[in-house]
Parts: sequence; C-alpha cells; structure tokens
Amino acid sequence: MKIEEFDVIIVGAGLSGLRAGLELSSKWNTAIISKVYPVRSHSGAAQGGINAALGNLEVSKDDTPKGHAFDTVKGSDYLADQNVVMFMCEEAPKIVIEFESMGAPFSRLESGLIAQRPFGGAGFPRTCYAGDRTGHTLLHTLYEQCIRNNVAFFDEYFLIDLIKANEKIVGIITLDIPKGEFVIFRAPYVILATGGFGRIFKHSTNALINTGDGNGAAFRAGVPMQDCEFVQFHPTTLYGTNILITEGARGEGGLLYNTEGDRFMSKTAPKAMELAPRDIVARAIDIEVIEGRGFENAYVHLDVTHLGAEKIKERLPGIREISINFAGLDPIDELIPVQPGQHYSMGGIATKYKGDFGETDLSGLYVIGECSCLSVHGANRLGGNSLLETSVFGRAIGRNLLKKGLIQLPPLDEIKKAEVNALNVIENLLKQWENNSGKKPVEIRDAMGETMNRNVGVFRKQEELEKAYEDLKKLQKEFLNVHVRTTDLKFNYGVLRTLELRNMLDIAEVTAYAALWRKESRGAHYRWDYPKRDDGNFLSHSLVYRTKDGLELKKKDVILGIFEVKERVY
Amino acid sequence: MSEKIKFLVYRNSGNGDIQYERYEVPIFRGMSVLEALFYIQDYFDSTLAFRYACRGAICGSCGLTIDKVPLLACRAQVSTIKTVKKPINLPEFNFGDHSDWDKDNEILIEPLPNMEVLKDLVVDMDPFWRFYREIEPYFEKDLIDVAPESKQSPEQMKVIERLVYCILCGLCWSCPVSKKNPNYLGPAQLAKADRFINDSRINKAKRETIVSRVIKQDAVPACEKFFMCNRVCPKGVMPGTAIKDIRDKWISDE
Repeated sequence: MKIEEFDVIIVGAGLSGLRAGLELSSKWNTAIISKVYPVRSHSGAAQGGINAALGNLEVSKDDTPKGHAFDTVKGSDYLADQNVVMFMCEEAPKIVIEFESMGAPFSRLESGLIAQRPFGGAGFPRTCYAGDRTGHTLLHTLYEQCIRNNVAFFDEYFLIDLIKANEKIVGIITLDIPKGEFVIFRAPYVILATGGFGRIFKHSTNALINTGDGNGAAFRAGVPMQDCEFVQFHPTTLYGTNILITEGARGEGGLLYNTEGDRFMSKTAPKAMELAPRDIVARAIDIEVIEGRGFENAYVHLDVTHLGAEKIKERLPGIREISINFAGLDPIDELIPVQPGQHYSMGGIATKYKGDFGETDLSGLYVIGECSCLSVHGANRLGGNSLLETSVFGRAIGRNLLKKGLIQLPPLDEIKKAEVNALNVIENLLKQWENNSGKKPVEIRDAMGETMNRNVGVFRKQEELEKAYEDLKKLQKEFLNVHVRTTDLKFNYGVLRTLELRNMLDIAEVTAYAALWRKESRGAHYRWDYPKRDDGNFLSHSLVYRTKDGLELKKKDVILGIFEVKERVY
Repeated sequence: MSEKIKFLVYRNSGNGDIQYERYEVPIFRGMSVLEALFYIQDYFDSTLAFRYACRGAICGSCGLTIDKVPLLACRAQVSTIKTVKKPINLPEFNFGDHSDWDKDNEILIEPLPNMEVLKDLVVDMDPFWRFYREIEPYFEKDLIDVAPESKQSPEQMKVIERLVYCILCGLCWSCPVSKKNPNYLGPAQLAKADRFINDSRINKAKRETIVSRVIKQDAVPACEKFFMCNRVCPKGVMPGTAIKDIRDKWISDE
C-alpha cells in the first residue's frame, strides 16, 4: 500500500484548510487532502460577507473589534468562549485586509475602500462583501495564492479514518477516488478542516458534500463532540430546494411578510426587526407558519422589490440568479418564498479546555472551521462570522504550529502496526457491506434526514427528541447490515456516500443526544418544554463521548470574564 | 403513482467499454437532472459515477452534456429540459452509438465533451487545471494585513466583476477549438487571464507576464471566434468577449 509522508496533513480545502496550508507550506512539507477539487468546497457558497470592524463607512467609524466581540458573544447567547471571540475580532480587520492584498475582488465604496453592509445582530455595518458571492471570491483568491506558493494538493482523496499510536495522531487512511486505492498519509500533525455536517438533516442549505467526515473520523478515534445540539437554521432558504438566500438581502433592506401582509418581526424584535440574529428570525417565521399565517402552510415572503432593479443587480445578483433558476421568479418584480432550513453547525470536534486554539485532546490533532467547536459561535452564530473564523484560525493555527516546531513520531513499528490495523478495519468493513443483505444506504440516509428534520428542528421537545434518538440508534443497527457494491472502488460514489453516511449517523446521534440533555432554551436550541435560558444549570458546553455502554455526556466550562452574562434582547 | 421519465445514460468502465443504459425515474416537481442521477445511483446502480458538490450552480462540479447541450446538471430541470431554449449553433458532440435514443421522450446524459472519460460521466479535468495554472492566475504582491487596504474604485471593480464569477466548471471547453487542439488553453483560462490583466491593482510586470503567455500560440490567437463559450457559460462570464478584449488591447497587427 502507498504511504505518503509529510510534516503536516490538512484534510479539507475550503477556506480553513487553504489558509492553514498557505501558512504551513512556507516552512513545512505540507499536504492538503480534499475529496473534491478545492474550489468546489462549500466555503464558496457563502454569500453575504465577512465581518471586520474596519469602520469604512461614515456611520461605522466608531466601530471596534471589542464591539464586534460583544455582538458575537451576545449573539452566541453567552455560550461562546470570550477569549477566543476577542482574538477573532481583533484579527478580523487584518485578515480582511490580507485577503485584499491577495487580490480578493471586494465590492467597493466611492472612497475606494472595501464596502460594508449591515448584518443581523451587529451594532454597525461591518460585513465586508463581494456582491453576494463573497465566499466564492475568497475561496478562489486563496486557492490562487496556494497555487502561487506551490502548495501540495491531493485532490479527490477521501478521509476514511484517523490513525493513532501511543495516544498520538500519526496519520490518516484515505481512499484515492480516481484510482480506487487506499493511501496512508503519515505525519506528526493532522489538521481537520472538513467543514460542516448539515446533510444529517433532510432540508439543508449545505452542499451535498457536507457530511461531517472529519467529525466522524475524530469521534471514532475517541475525540469528543462539543455543543452539537446547537444547529443554526437559516431563516431565509428558498422554499423547495432550501438553497440559501443571503442575510445580505435583509441587510440591503429586504422585508419579511406573512399572509396578512404584516411585517411580523415587529412582534419578536421591535428594534432590530428583520436584522435580528438568525435564531430569532427563524423562530419568528416558523411561528407564523405554525399559527396559520404562512403561505401553503410552509413559508413566508421576502420582499426586495422596493430596492429597485439597479440595486438588486449590483448587490444581489446571485440571489436574483438563484430565484430565476430554482424558483422561476425574478425578485425585481416578485416576492421570494422563504422558510428556515438547516444552515450551520455551531458544534463540532471539541477543542481542549485552555489549550492552543484548535488543539484537541488527541495529541497532534488540530481542528478548524465548521467541523470544529473553538467555540466562537456558542449557541448561535452571527452572519458574516463563519468566513471570518475559517481564515483567522487557519492562519493562527498554522503560525502557532510553526512556532511550536515539529514533534517526534512514535516508534516506527508502533506506527506500522496502527496503519495495518486501520487498513484491516476498512477492508473488513467493505467486505461486509458487499456481503450484507440489509437495506440500501439511501433508505437509512432518508430516514435519518426525516427524523432529524421532524424531531430535532427549530422547535424541540422531550418526546420528539427521544423519538429521534431511538430512531437513530435503530438506524445505526440497520447500518451494520447495509448493502452496497464495493468490489470496484474506482470512482465508486456509492461506496463514498456510504462512508459519508457512516460519519453522519454518528454525528446525528450525538446531536439528538446532546439536545435531549440540554433542558433549557439558548440561542438556536429552543425547547417548548424548557422555554427559558437556565444559566444555573446549563451555562456550559456539552461534550459527548462514545463509551462501550453508549454515549456519555460531560460538561465543560465556558470561558467568560470579558463581557457580563445578560439577558438577550434585540 | 408519480410520473416517470426515461433517462439514457452514457456508461464507460474506463477501459474503452462504452454503452448507453436506460433507467426509468419517478419524478417530482422541481426535480433537477442531478437529483435524477442520484435516484439512479441510489436505487438502480450504486456504481454510476458522476461528480457533484453544491447542487446550487455555484461550485462547478456537475457539468454534463444533457440532450446534446453542455449544462450544469443541478440547474437543468427535468420537467423543462425538452422545452427550454437551447444555445444556438452548437457542434455535434459524439460520445458513442445511441441510435435508439428516443429524442422526444428520453433525456440523454453524456459527459462533458473534449475531455477524456475516466469513468461513466466523470472526465479527466487535469488538463483543465494544468492550463489554469499555466497562466499564473494570482496576485504576486507581498501579503499585508495593516490598514488601510489598497484602493479600487467601484468602476474599476466593475471591469472585472463579470470575470470573477467564473466557477471553472469546464462547460466552455466544449469549444470546437478545444476539440481540435488539445494544447489550446481554453476559454475559462483566457477569461481568468483577462480578469487579472484588467485588475487595476495589478502591477505592470505581472500584467505583462500574463499577457505574454496568452498572446502566444494555443491561446488568444487560436480562438476562432465561435463565441460558443459565451452561449454555454452558466454564469454569464462571456469568455469569448474576454478573449476579444485581450486581442483588441494587446494584439495590434491583426
């Protein structure tokens, strides 16, 4: 079997992985591994922008990183680790300016400076943007810089499992998708930057590739998952396909209406209105639908017609294109049907309490971006903070590792033993899948998505969460007997999607389990049966482990100390 | 019972063994061709190979030839594929024998043209990325992270805006020049060159490096002005217009 050796391996080639790779490859032998070509990564789907207190507008000249940090912590319903948030917000102006120096084609103000727009939950217009294709432009720009610096890419390699020896990470086992062969990458450091896992839900804005592959691999290697009960439902996804309609549409002045023609946001957020944070707007929309004021019992209207054709074409061209292509309507003249849909995973692979940024309990393993929980978003992420998180921590973790220096791998015979073991595990699994006589993967995948959507959605309660958890345990059992053809692995997407399902089932189970445990309402986690925030019992992160007796949950302290924990009003 | 539609799908083991297979797929309102392909993979043959990622026409993964037109499978709607207006003056793309194709009732699925097929609907994009790299599509300034950022007026930004929308999907490689000249850099690559050449922030030396590469053979002069790339581009990048822009500004003696 082929073995590749590097100083550091990065899995995932979205903004997090690319930014870390750019930093590390300047000094170390670095490999970036991705199951798709880098520019296909889901970072490219981000539309609205990236937050930084640049103060480029007259109205935002008093904006500060501390103000940005406060909004982020308040938006998180006080669950974010405040020191990490503060670091991110202080780095924000630098990282945006760095992107500009890489050639990122931001939209501009008349002054020639980077344009900024208002976004939900923000005290000032601080979201820097490139039309409504900000993620696309940043992803392409960063990829260009990686090409410039000859970063080593391994495109179309699928992460199967982590390999550890003597309680340290020593590499990963992958499937070379075009060749259909297993390849081991050996290194003392592994950084997971594999993105979110929104596809555990049936309705999601996420790309089809967002299946939590890093999360599944880390969880199987004994690393806990943190805060997975916090799932962001974006308020405005296109009815039908659930393709994202950016918050920037509301930032530019878009309004939400129910069937009675009311701007219903006045009831829940009389001051912020449509620009309240996402959790609040998503709940408000679902309440309208539940109480019978939604269209077709499913959606409300987003109105941008009053912005006029010119502004829509200039600021929201992607939204217009999506509406025309996927809903057959032109938002210049018509209202856009929108409903909440799964959008972002605030939780993820747990990081060490008071360790380095992104450092996990497994020595040598680091995590960044949506697959991780650092935790900068707490119980609810503000729009414009995810692109920011990827690049700030991609760079920071890269720099930090270079400063720490390379570490010794465990003895070679220990590593080889672990590698052979990893290979045996996957070979046996594939043999089993070929010989099994159970369900097709699609049946299990659909059932998972259904139960997550129905029972672990915007509004939650005990019985439904229990139902989801039982369903998922049953699906896990059925998955042991799943059948798929595995004899020829070359471009075998049937096998890849079954490996993805293996990862998703674990994370879905963790999500339902943690949501059951959290008997309070905080940020994106809302429980009918516990409608209040309960700081006495639950102002803490959740850590979920797999033990031989099933899942187990521990608490982890939230890092406070900069901003006082208060009630959250908009 | 839901309505069913027949798909005639190009299959290729990668060993030169080509055949067309028929599948009958139950359709639903708003179903894309990509979703139909997933149905086939999920229920009929898990080994059917095709690329995908975003399903929202922004990642550039799922370019295919659908009813003889290069399209993104995620954006092509099953219900309207037979009735939507097709780009005019497309060449005949030939992948294999499908003489029994019932044109009016079956949706024909084939890989992108002018690229080598690796398996089924998956093509070899390596030349595409190699040529992309060849134009050195990047800024070469030192990275700085101290305010203020370098300035660019909204008008200067507008000049490159259309060009930065390119998603590198490869549909424009259906160009007849790409067919006959395997060394032709390709419309997407030349549009990318134009994006950098026209960026007000790029310095003279870098601009000239890119220009000197693309005004040589197998690049801008090789374009035969079919403008097919403009017609098949799913993002309105208009690579042909970008190539014309380079030719008009940088090749004088025409």
